[in-house]
Amino acid sequence: MAVCIGVIAKENYPLYIRCAPNVENEVNFHFTVHTSLDVIEEKVASLGKSTSISTTDLREFYLGQLYPSEDYRIYGYVTNTKVKFVIVVEAANTQLRDNEVRSMFRRLHNAYTDVICNPFHVPGDKIKSKSFDSVASSMIVPERKKENPLVI
Amino acid sequence: MSKQTRAFDNKKLVGELFTLTYGALVSQLIKDYEKDEEVNKQLDKMGYNIGIRLVEDFMARSNMGKCQDFRETADVLAKMAFKMYLNITPTIANWSPANDEFSLMLDNNPLVEFVELPEDRSKLNYSNVLCGAVRGALEMLQLEVEAWFPRDSLKGDNVTELRIKFIRKLTDALPAGED
Amino acid sequence: MQEDATNVLFELLHDELISYVYSNDIDMKSKQISILESHGFRIGQSLAEQLTKDSSRFKDELEIMKFVCRDFWSAMYQKQVDNLRTNHQGVYVLQDNCFKLLKRISSGKQYLEFAPRFLAIPCGFVRGALANLGINSIVTAEVISMPAVKFQIMIQRV
Repeated sequence: MAVCIGVIAKENYPLYIRCAPNVENEVNFHFTVHTSLDVIEEKVASLGKSTSISTTDLREFYLGQLYPSEDYRIYGYVTNTKVKFVIVVEAANTQLRDNEVRSMFRRLHNAYTDVICNPFHVPGDKIKSKSFDSVASSMIVPERKKENPLVI
Repeated sequence: MSKQTRAFDNKKLVGELFTLTYGALVSQLIKDYEKDEEVNKQLDKMGYNIGIRLVEDFMARSNMGKCQDFRETADVLAKMAFKMYLNITPTIANWSPANDEFSLMLDNNPLVEFVELPEDRSKLNYSNVLCGAVRGALEMLQLEVEAWFPRDSLKGDNVTELRIKFIRKLTDALPAGED
Repeated sequence: MQEDATNVLFELLHDELISYVYSNDIDMKSKQISILESHGFRIGQSLAEQLTKDSSRFKDELEIMKFVCRDFWSAMYQKQVDNLRTNHQGVYVLQDNCFKLLKRISSGKQYLEFAPRFLAIPCGFVRGALANLGINSIVTAEVISMPAVKFQIMIQRV
């Protein structure tokens, strides 16, 4: 489960950012997502150069862990249309395996594709889609305190 | 350029192209008309134009003769026409006691595959082209009908229901066409 | 081989879109072309998103062009581009010897004047797909002889 999920446009502005409901430092996450962009660009650029190595994983959208931090692990993913997805996981969460992160990105990517195909969506606008939101929310760590049951 | 790269599911892709093109058409109408009701009317009219042209193609593919009654018409519509052109088979339901009115239940409507209706578009009948197409096609077969959507999953209903009501048999004279 | 039924429906819808756009302001031909082109652009954008989501990362411009000529074209028109040429300076020419959306109207010379309205959306398709893949371009189409069409793509470098 993630504590933060971000979608960043080709032109490097956020299209969607969602954090776990109990985080206090949401601004920090926005910052984290933003700094990860540089790492993503770097990774993609280095992949582009090393054309002599024809291993398939260099052509994959999933970039793996971007950079280590004390409290979090940050993963990145870039589509052919240069949209970036970022998933932030608590470092303490050690059960989450690489393959699961990969499949979370796949699901986000599929949901994003549907958003683009919605004729009422203006490409480049923030993502307001309810179905995208529900896909992303399902990957976010739920509220830990259970005293206040959700009222819908 | 002969090298095949990947095999796509062509039927699905043509379907997607159709879905997206329809989306473009709706978005154009929304730009041009202020009221959703006007958009609905235009969509119905375009559907009618498509329906009257589609009949010939349908006849060539299906080798169908004239339907004996309205029940058979419903069957052909659901199991052949919708299957052929939209790749779905709606369920026929809710026959009126007089057998002159029925519903096609669309649990899967390809037109709305990617659509999320904005909140300020609550009066828009997004799939109204289908009403027009059914009306146009049946009119070419000397059946005057009315068609509308009493329920629509895009608007939060649990099913999309296309209701079709028999009005009258037309004589062999050419249909009057759209006003 | 009989044409796929879903295709027939697509073509009828495509025609409705064109005739609808042409039924408005009759004096503004260039505007109508640009409206159609912009719809093509939006559709091309969406389809590029769909079609590239399961492929591997493109490594350069040429790979993207090949994607357009093969996968994208097949998805749109059930055939690939017949010929792709480039001057290696940002101009690509895609030739389709039997362009599907013209096939139906190609049976007479008198229809040649209608060709531009049938080519506006396809030009948009290409421009929209490329734009979404990070390449800005200008796309024009020219009828060689019905129904053969040449699409010229001029890459706009910033």
